[in-house]
Amino acid sequence: MMSLFEICQWLQNTEFGTSLRESIWMFPIVESTHVLGLSLSVGTLLWMDLRLTGKFMKSQPISKISNSVLPWTLVGFTIMTITGVLLFWCQAVKAYNSIFFKIKIALLFLAAVNAIVYHTTIYRKMDEWDKASPPPLQARFAGWASIALWIGIIIAGRNMAYNF
Amino acid sequence: MSLLFPFFKWCDGTWVGAAIRGSKYAFPVIEAIHLLGLTVLLGVMVVISLRLFGFILKHESTRELATDLRPYTWGSIVTMLVTGFLLFASEALKCYDSSSFRFKMACLILALIFQVTVYHRATTAMDVDKRPGFAKLTAILALALWFGVGLGGRAIGFL
Repeated sequence: MMSLFEICQWLQNTEFGTSLRESIWMFPIVESTHVLGLSLSVGTLLWMDLRLTGKFMKSQPISKISNSVLPWTLVGFTIMTITGVLLFWCQAVKAYNSIFFKIKIALLFLAAVNAIVYHTTIYRKMDEWDKASPPPLQARFAGWASIALWIGIIIAGRNMAYNF
Repeated sequence: MSLLFPFFKWCDGTWVGAAIRGSKYAFPVIEAIHLLGLTVLLGVMVVISLRLFGFILKHESTRELATDLRPYTWGSIVTMLVTGFLLFASEALKCYDSSSFRFKMACLILALIFQVTVYHRATTAMDVDKRPGFAKLTAILALALWFGVGLGGRAIGFL
């Protein structure tokens, strides 16, 4: 039975992991795509979250913003997930040793819980509060929580590059 | 380019630049704020470009959407200019030799000029949604220029 550390070691030493890590162009391209993918994922999600908090585009029903923006957010998340997995693959040991990576994963988990709770509870009753101003407390909470968690995820992700 | 060298050297020697270089945490903190600004600014540009293309929020005019987003647009641009200058001051001499940095500054100047001229016109005009060619071209150019700035910025760390 391999330990988590050994799995990370094995992963980054696979032929694919090594060649990606040592490549002149592929690594920067994957890394840049990951960073610029933020604009599509978090940059679009932000407007949905701000609408949920009741601070933005109050005149528009939430369902319209949600239906317009979320498909693009999902495209962005797909890009982030693929490039994120590739980045982890080629430097898994560094990630294993990084406190910021652990914080990032914990916050990503909380963001996923937040999104799942929102979509399985109050989102299903949206007909009742679509045009409400301000939106119900639970919706506002989901919006603020999402904004705060994503700020944390971005800061933690960026700081993986430093050794304090 | 060598005409600008004294300016780069002066920036590198300012107390702000030296203080950021000397601190363990200043650069990462400023860099993180710079990146949050990037998320908001490119997020705005993506949403407005999608509207200019007619992909999203069709029931609302580009003008209304851009008006709602304007505080975030300029808030994030100012945030990025301020944090960007601080980061630059801490490693101005490195930037002087960086072709990525030159590319980024060229894109940035063009992006800012485009933002206050053509883009401003497109997002304040009453009839832009009836001129899809103009709207789409504006969206493509604005996205290309701002993503060029982002790409050039990331590349400073690599090339």
